[in-house]
Amino acid sequence: MSYIDVLREAKDQVTPGMSACQGCGGELILRKALQIAGENTIIGIPPGCMAGAGVVGWNYANGLKIPVHIPLLDNSAAFFSGLSQMYQRKGRKDTNIVVLAGDGATADCGFQSLSAAAERGEKLLYICYDNEGYMNTGYQRSSTTTKGSRTSTTPIGSVVKGKTQQQKYVPLIIAMHNVEFCATASPSNMADFVAKVQKGLAASKNGFAYLHVFSPCPTGWGYAPDQGIEVARRAVKANMFPLWEMDRGEFKLNDENRKPITIAEFVKGIGKFKALSDEDIAAIQAMVDHRFEMLKRLAGK
Amino acid sequence: MERQHVTPIGNDGMYVLDTASWRILRPVMDKSKCVECGMCLAYCPVGAIIGSADKKYTITYDYCKGCGVCAAECPRKAIDMKPEGGEK
Repeated sequence: MSYIDVLREAKDQVTPGMSACQGCGGELILRKALQIAGENTIIGIPPGCMAGAGVVGWNYANGLKIPVHIPLLDNSAAFFSGLSQMYQRKGRKDTNIVVLAGDGATADCGFQSLSAAAERGEKLLYICYDNEGYMNTGYQRSSTTTKGSRTSTTPIGSVVKGKTQQQKYVPLIIAMHNVEFCATASPSNMADFVAKVQKGLAASKNGFAYLHVFSPCPTGWGYAPDQGIEVARRAVKANMFPLWEMDRGEFKLNDENRKPITIAEFVKGIGKFKALSDEDIAAIQAMVDHRFEMLKRLAGK
Repeated sequence: MERQHVTPIGNDGMYVLDTASWRILRPVMDKSKCVECGMCLAYCPVGAIIGSADKKYTITYDYCKGCGVCAAECPRKAIDMKPEGGEK
C-alpha cells in the first residue's frame, strides 16, 4: 500500500473548516498525522498556531473528532506522561497517545518537561511542527529560528539585522536521550513523512518517540501561500533540514542529498531572509555543512 | 476491559468555519491532463481534495481556502488557479 493509498483511504479526524492561514504547513501536518493515527488516538495540542486555529474547540464546540486536550505551553509532555501511564494501567495499550506541539512548546517553554519525559521513556509520540517562531502571537523569535531571520522581536534596523544567534538543533538533543525513535521529516517528502509517523506510532507503544517536522509558514516567513511545499523541499535540498531517523540507537540518513543546493538558493524569495548579508549566508552555510557532516558520521557514511 | 472511542461532543457540536469564503483564486482541474498521481491529495493542507477507490481525484469547494499548493505541486500542471467570480 503506497502512501497515497494510505492518505486516500484514511478518514480525516479534524474539523473541515479550521482557521489556519492559507497554505499552512502545520495544518497539513496535523491532518495527515491524525489520518494515519486513526480514531483510537488521544492528542494534546499546547497553545500555539494549531490550538489557536480552533482544533482544540471553541465556545463549547469540538475541533477534532477524537479526544483532544490543551495542556499549558510548558507541560504538554508531563501532562501526557500521566495520561499515558493511566492508559497503560487501564490496559488500553493500543491507544495512540500523541502530542502535537509547535517549536516554542518544544524547544523553549516545554523543553524541560519534554526532556524529562524522553529520559523516563514515557510511551507517547511527540510531534513538533517547527515553523521557527511563535507564529500564533505574531512571529516572535524562538530558539529554532534561523540566524538572520526577521521576526517581531528581532526586527531589521540599523543596529540589529534579524536574529543574531544560530538555531538550536532539537532533534539531535532528543535523540541523545536514548529514546525509542527519533526522526526529522518534511511535508515536501510525504512518503518519508507517512512512514515516519507510522514508525513513530509503533515505537510509542514501547517507549518515547519524537518526530521533528519542518513546517513553513507563509504569513510569518513572507512568501506566497502556494510556495509552502517548495520552500520545504528547498530546505531539505539545501541541508537546512536534513532527513534522518534514529531507531533504538541506530542512525540512518534518509536522504543523502548528493547534490545539495546552497543556502543562497534556499533563502531566495522568502521575506524573512531579505536583509541577509553575505556574512550571514556564509555563517548559516558553515553551520549547515558542519551539522550535515556530523549527521553523516553518526549514520556511518 | 471494553474499549470506548466516544468523544464527548460539546453542546454546539463541531467547530466548523466557512473557510471557503476566504478564497480569491479557485483551483480548477483539467481532467484530460490529470495522470491520477494523487500529489494534490497528498499536499492539500485543508483536505479539500478527495480520491475515490478507482484513483479519481476531485476538488471540493466547501472548505478550500484557495492557497494554490495543489496547482503549484501538480507535476502535469493540470490545476489552474482561476479568479473567483470570473475574469475581470
